[in-house]
Amino acid sequence: MKQFAKRLYLALIFILLYAPIITLIVLSFNSSKTRSKWGGFTLKWYHSLLENEAIMSAFYTTLVIALLSALAATLIGTAACIGLQAMRKRTRNILLSISNIPMVNAEIVTAVSLMLIFIAVRMTMGFRTILIAHITFNIPYVILSVMPKLRQTKRSAYEAALDLGASPLYAFYRITLPDIMPGVLSGFLLAFTMSLDDFVITHFTKGPGIDTLSTKIYSEVRKGIKPEIYALSTLLFVSVLLLLILVNYQPETEKKTSEEGQVKVYSRAAKIRDTIIRRAVPAIMILVVAAGGIYYSSNGAMNTDNTVIVYNWGEYLDPAVLDLFTEETGIKVIYEEFETNEIMYPKISSGAIAYDVVVPSDYMIQRMIENDMLAEINFDNIPNIKQIGEVYMEESRQFDPENKYSVPYVWGTVGILYNKTMVEEPIDSWSVLWDERYADSILMQDSVRDAFAVALKSLGYSLNSSDLDELTAAKNLLIEQKPLVQAYVVDQVRDKMIGNEAAIGVIYSGEAIYTQRENPDLEYVIPKEGSNVWIDSLVIPKNAQHKENAEKFIDFLCRPDIAYMNFDYITYSTPNTGARELIEDEDIRNSRIAFPTDEMLEGCETYSFLGDETDRTYNELWNQVKSS
Amino acid sequence: MSHKLIDLVHITKSYDSVTILDDLNLYIRENEFLTLLGPSGCGKTTTLRILGGFETPDQGRVIFDGEDITQLPPNKRQLNTVFQKYALFSHMDIAENIAFGLKIKNKSKTYINDKIKYALKLVNLDGFEHRMPDSLSGGQQQRIAIARAIVNEPKVLLLDEPLGALDLKLRYDMQYELIRLKNELGITFIYVTHDQEEALTMSDTIVVMNQGYIQQIGTPEKIYNEPENAFVADFIGDSNILPGIMVEDRLVNILGAKFQCVDEGFGHNTPVDVVIRPEDVDLVKPEEGTIRGVVTHLIFKGVHYEMEVKANNFDWLVHSTDMFPVGTEVGIRVVPFDIQIMNKPLSEDEEAVNIEE
Amino acid sequence: MKNNRRLLTGPYLFWSVSFIIIPLLMIIYYGMTSSEGHFTWTNIAAITTPENLKALGLSLLLALLCTVICLILAYPLAMILSSSGMSSSSFIVLLFILPMWMNFLLRTLAWQTLLEKNGVINLVLTAMHLPALNIINTPYAIVLGMVYDFLPFMVLPIYNVLIKLDKDMINAARDLGANGLQTFLKITLPLSMPGIISGITMVFVPALTTFVISDLLGGGKILLIGNVIEQTYKQGSNWHLGSGLSIVLMVFVIASMGIVSKYDKNNEGGTF
Repeated sequence: MKQFAKRLYLALIFILLYAPIITLIVLSFNSSKTRSKWGGFTLKWYHSLLENEAIMSAFYTTLVIALLSALAATLIGTAACIGLQAMRKRTRNILLSISNIPMVNAEIVTAVSLMLIFIAVRMTMGFRTILIAHITFNIPYVILSVMPKLRQTKRSAYEAALDLGASPLYAFYRITLPDIMPGVLSGFLLAFTMSLDDFVITHFTKGPGIDTLSTKIYSEVRKGIKPEIYALSTLLFVSVLLLLILVNYQPETEKKTSEEGQVKVYSRAAKIRDTIIRRAVPAIMILVVAAGGIYYSSNGAMNTDNTVIVYNWGEYLDPAVLDLFTEETGIKVIYEEFETNEIMYPKISSGAIAYDVVVPSDYMIQRMIENDMLAEINFDNIPNIKQIGEVYMEESRQFDPENKYSVPYVWGTVGILYNKTMVEEPIDSWSVLWDERYADSILMQDSVRDAFAVALKSLGYSLNSSDLDELTAAKNLLIEQKPLVQAYVVDQVRDKMIGNEAAIGVIYSGEAIYTQRENPDLEYVIPKEGSNVWIDSLVIPKNAQHKENAEKFIDFLCRPDIAYMNFDYITYSTPNTGARELIEDEDIRNSRIAFPTDEMLEGCETYSFLGDETDRTYNELWNQVKSS
Repeated sequence: MSHKLIDLVHITKSYDSVTILDDLNLYIRENEFLTLLGPSGCGKTTTLRILGGFETPDQGRVIFDGEDITQLPPNKRQLNTVFQKYALFSHMDIAENIAFGLKIKNKSKTYINDKIKYALKLVNLDGFEHRMPDSLSGGQQQRIAIARAIVNEPKVLLLDEPLGALDLKLRYDMQYELIRLKNELGITFIYVTHDQEEALTMSDTIVVMNQGYIQQIGTPEKIYNEPENAFVADFIGDSNILPGIMVEDRLVNILGAKFQCVDEGFGHNTPVDVVIRPEDVDLVKPEEGTIRGVVTHLIFKGVHYEMEVKANNFDWLVHSTDMFPVGTEVGIRVVPFDIQIMNKPLSEDEEAVNIEE
Repeated sequence: MKNNRRLLTGPYLFWSVSFIIIPLLMIIYYGMTSSEGHFTWTNIAAITTPENLKALGLSLLLALLCTVICLILAYPLAMILSSSGMSSSSFIVLLFILPMWMNFLLRTLAWQTLLEKNGVINLVLTAMHLPALNIINTPYAIVLGMVYDFLPFMVLPIYNVLIKLDKDMINAARDLGANGLQTFLKITLPLSMPGIISGITMVFVPALTTFVISDLLGGGKILLIGNVIEQTYKQGSNWHLGSGLSIVLMVFVIASMGIVSKYDKNNEGGTF
């Protein structure tokens, strides 16, 4: 009975632990992109995963960082242990408690503190900063596993070696080191694992174009879950499983004898296992890293200076365009994505990362111009500017009065995407977002200006309001709405709407065409109260290191064929007249979603920058909404 | 002596198809100091654990004071155990350790305090109430373990190799201490050890066990002087175990020489084992001995000399207060009373152990 | 000779000062100055605004809940795993540690997939004609994710203590008259306290400071103190405010560990 209860408990915990993992594994073989349907067995996600260069290079970076940081931490940590052992107890304890800080402290605080120091010494965020950060939090783990071993070591053995004529170095190498080796090894492994698994610290100390697996997964998940991620999980799980079984596998006979405390007889199998663990695994690891290093450095080294660092919205460019650009110009593109203007801005303003091309929205461009953060574009280098429709250049003058700093990239509106089968009548007003019937089926944009635009517009105010009373009213409206909201998300609105997770979502017009392709039940509407019409433009920050390359890149994006390629991929409205003419599908070329009429845009406004003061007010009010 | 307190009836126990105890029958009398003696793996600790209630026998019954307690959990038994490695509760001080059982029984505070004082005095550790177990020496911890057990006034105290972890000198002291305690408390002690000397010093009754079987039960004198088989003889003290042939009653042929003895009833020309204790071998002039030999080793042992004498192709172990230098030719003589004749072992297990030792 | 050995701490000292001490001092500096560089308490006092206070309170509550649930789940598990009755226990232990080696973002992501409105759990429930479970984007989902992610941190230290526990001590307690429950309360539990303590700190601190789990399972509706700090740095770019809040968080981490270790001392009669 008791035994049964124990087994039952183990089984329950086992289910709790493995159900999620099994789910991921099963889904990785599901040919349907929607999670709720089984579309048959497939391996295509594995295929596309292995072809996904971004994920593979993140995977490789993760390994290299883990290996290098674990190695460095092991060296520094072990040396420190030996030195500490020679110190007085008091000094030693003080130094040890310093080493414990990163282990004990909140990860986010450690991460932020490292970010601050890197920015303070003007260290460019990138591989180097991640490595330093990882070494920092790995050292304590090494000390933790080496120190006890060192305490156990018998000093007499070391002294005996000296007595027999060994030099201190030789005695250390032959006597002390083998003695503490298990501790050193387990410290290395622990550090390696910690580094592999880290997200928070990498998140704060990484730079453009570099990702570890964790940060890559995070940004992918924020955009919506792709089946490739399931495939990745499965591969990781299986390799960890194999590795652990290999390390822990002990033949029965060997176990029995060692338990009985008799002389340990090394069986053949044990020897083979030992060889695998001690020699083969490290050798393979080094080989992988070396091979990858050669491969990636040959890819990168040639063009270290001939690059352009692009900072764009998530899912806002056809990756094939980048390859094409590199092919034609020989310029390597380092590509990074952001989710909202508000996330992008501090990265540029801190100056920690020198981007070459950024794609902010209208009001952000105005703010950046006002704060002297943008470089004037030399339009001689951008002959394709003539492809951009005059009306959009005109619109741009609202935030870039002399058309000196920006080149329109895409434009669109903010509206409501709804599922025709899940709502009771056609939707034409923002008020539906406060309709109790759709509780828990509403998705809101997780960005200040868009959220407030919705509230301000439904109250009949301007979405550029800086009147505190109006803003407070909008805030209260948003707080009132919060219980009905399923989630505040950005790029995920798309996936959730396609997957029938929600009935109504606030979304950018560009996403509407794509979602309709995937789920014909979806409909997009610009509410009658009016909305936001926006332009995202290409700009060059003042601190750009490769301004000429940036201009080449901007010009390239303005080429009609390229702009068309992009439009076809991201389905956001293009201001490029040449590109629009290339659209073959008449329905799309004349789509009212992609290219709304003037009447439809009546009552729509463009965001303008409202000044730092009002900006702060918006942020404060938004925080109150989010934490209400 | 007094009546049977504990009766082990047909006890069988095995782990993972290895039989530890095979149909063991044993009774223990009230106020007895009984020692279970044997090499490791003989089943003596398992027997004790069955008595303590930490193991349940596969078959058989444990009768305590006329009641069947086979299935009774340890906390309901009127026995207490002193564990091999003391098993003091490291998170409690000495007083709390000793009071543990009494608090469980909801005894009054004053009663508990008196008991602690009494128990500490009994084990000569007055004033140790508020020390922590880690700060005590092995011997002191051992005494606390005993104190902790006896405050519960058990009818039987089970001791599992309690002196095994102590050094030699301390072990001697504790042996006397245990005898004194037993006499003062007037309860039954069941003692497990592999140390024959401990067993001989302290016990009223010794149970020699091997391979899950009882080999011999008897007083220390009887076990020592009249081992019933070669295993017992070999395990208890040093001895010369020689192959012999019982020629007739009171005459045995050892290594080709005829020795007078006192045993009868083995029949004619029966192969037997002969046990002669080293101190019973008299070394005399060559011409005076029953057989002749040459001294091959000599060690001074303080009280006596230990010698090895090669005679008739056998190395005789001899303890004597007289010294014969290596190389001396000597004669060997044994008084008939000192020759112990035993039947050849019947079980193969016993044989096997003999060879190993 | 001895002095030479001490020199080996050089790189470590350099590293600690450069990347542990100075960065922490910078946080304190930023946290106590305004953007004009004047000394101010406002960044630290910002924790008292209703929204920050709420985030902190919720973080403390969820972290506490997560720690308690982890402890309740982990202790019996550790006991079963460490009990001698388990044959081939090393394999089973391995089985229970294995999920910990998966990337924790993927593990959290898995729960997102399971808990979604049209997720696996609800598909199963609907198929069985049971009411759907709608806990995604609620604090319950966050606690679930935390428990799942941090459970091994509770199991391992307790298991390590229990496996080393002298079985005879349990036997001794039983022998002295304690029943199963009394033995557990008076012997096993106090003796496994060091494991419980380190388990509690290893679960409570990350749970208190996480922003990823609340981000992925909270649908952006639930702000924990970690989210507030992350957003202050990453979106608001207000380093002074972010640092001020970080100082507060640090104080809470230190305080909670202090409380835990103090409780430990009281309970142990000063043995540890």
